[in-house]
Amino acid sequence: MIIDVHAHWGPWFFSMEVGAVATNLAVMDRYGIDLAVVSATEAVIYDPTTGNRAMARVLETTDRLLGYLTINPRRLDDAERDLRELLPTGRFVGVKIHTDYTGSPPSSPQTRAALELAAAHDLPALVHTWDRSPLDLAAAVADIPGLRAIAGHMGANGWRHAVEAANSVDRLWLEPCFSHTEAGRFAAVAAAVDPHRLLFGTDATLIDPAAAYGAVLAADLEPELAERVAWRNAADLFRLERA
Amino acid sequence: MSRNPFVAADLPPVTLDVDVLVGRYADRPGPTGEPATVTALLAANGIARAAVASLRAALFDVRSGNDEVAALAGPTVLPVGTLDLRDPLGAEREVVRLAGQGVRAVRLFPDEQHVEPDFPSVRHVARRAAEAGLVILAGGDVRRYWRPLRGATVVFLDTHFYHLGDFVVAARDEPGFHTSTRLLNSPDALETIAEHVGVERLLYGSRTPFYEAVVPRLRLARSALGSDAVAAVAGGNARRILGLTE
Repeated sequence: MIIDVHAHWGPWFFSMEVGAVATNLAVMDRYGIDLAVVSATEAVIYDPTTGNRAMARVLETTDRLLGYLTINPRRLDDAERDLRELLPTGRFVGVKIHTDYTGSPPSSPQTRAALELAAAHDLPALVHTWDRSPLDLAAAVADIPGLRAIAGHMGANGWRHAVEAANSVDRLWLEPCFSHTEAGRFAAVAAAVDPHRLLFGTDATLIDPAAAYGAVLAADLEPELAERVAWRNAADLFRLERA
Repeated sequence: MSRNPFVAADLPPVTLDVDVLVGRYADRPGPTGEPATVTALLAANGIARAAVASLRAALFDVRSGNDEVAALAGPTVLPVGTLDLRDPLGAEREVVRLAGQGVRAVRLFPDEQHVEPDFPSVRHVARRAAEAGLVILAGGDVRRYWRPLRGATVVFLDTHFYHLGDFVVAARDEPGFHTSTRLLNSPDALETIAEHVGVERLLYGSRTPFYEAVVPRLRLARSALGSDAVAAVAGGNARRILGLTE
């Protein structure tokens, strides 16, 4: 069993053809990924209102995808309406906040407000982090009661800061996806943080799961920890029923 | 009973990796790149042979660095010369010396040497290397380094899948342009390049010991390429452009 906690559905603006939901499922099959939590690229990059609704329609077509409801921190009124209208579908299990595409770093007032909204709905928040920003996300987690957050990309090249961040609060999880697969990165993080805080994320279908899967494979984890990374921690975080 | 869900029994053997380094970076954490450690990593990752260049040559002293990798020549190591783009006059001399030693490829490190693609040195050094019959293994952003490297046989080592469209349109006009697969880790990057300019333009590169060698190997294993194409990417294409017959 493998759960991918960082995936997308929809097209990208690069020279790639990965926008069909069939591509999501085919890419998951390449790596034995059973379930992916996805956000709509349209919602992440441009317009959450239309993107979240398109995402909801796709989620009706397959039980292998669950949804992140994307929040643009600059459009919190839209986010409240989307949460009100789309959470009843039962197919959205978290919120996605992309700090770059929205020009809203984790330390910004608007992202703090978006994270408060996620906490108020008791939904895990997947937040794009890079360089030192996991530390800012950890500060938000410390300040916002009940917030559960995932540091997307575990800071990318700033993974050492992600280690410090995860060890500073008790409600911050890390997932490793990053197209630059520095040797030993995941092994070093896995050795340095609480094993309950490690998740598996790929960034598919932007990045092929080979990047994250290979990084975890190279870490040569003990079987118990590998299972935690693969799915147990995700199942606990998202409160998924176990088959 | 727990079991590790992360397994890969289908990784293809790599017969020639075009992107391996020995030595260290002074400005960042990471491995020290001792040759014995690097060759052990290659073996552990199913890489039978690699085109190896020296960070000592790239960062400090070209001649002693190149001699360092020349001394490693053998079944596992194919030495690659390094040219310093900060010293085009010295690079002229080193091209002659390396060609005289039978070296088949030179590597350029523009990022590490803080050299821009429009510096006269880049075009000049690339021309001298090409005239000497050397393959150029080029770091740097393909969207910018395609221009000074036109006409040469080049492997772009840093092509990211974000930029593969730029590589394809440049490679259509440049039969000598090839790319490493190291950062082509989107779901359809290998297949897109194979479709548009041919699988013969793709060469496996790992950047051992600084990157996870298993990632491009796994991506290749799970690609839509057939077994002959996989074998070509995993070494056959590199042997062809380097003129290796063994």
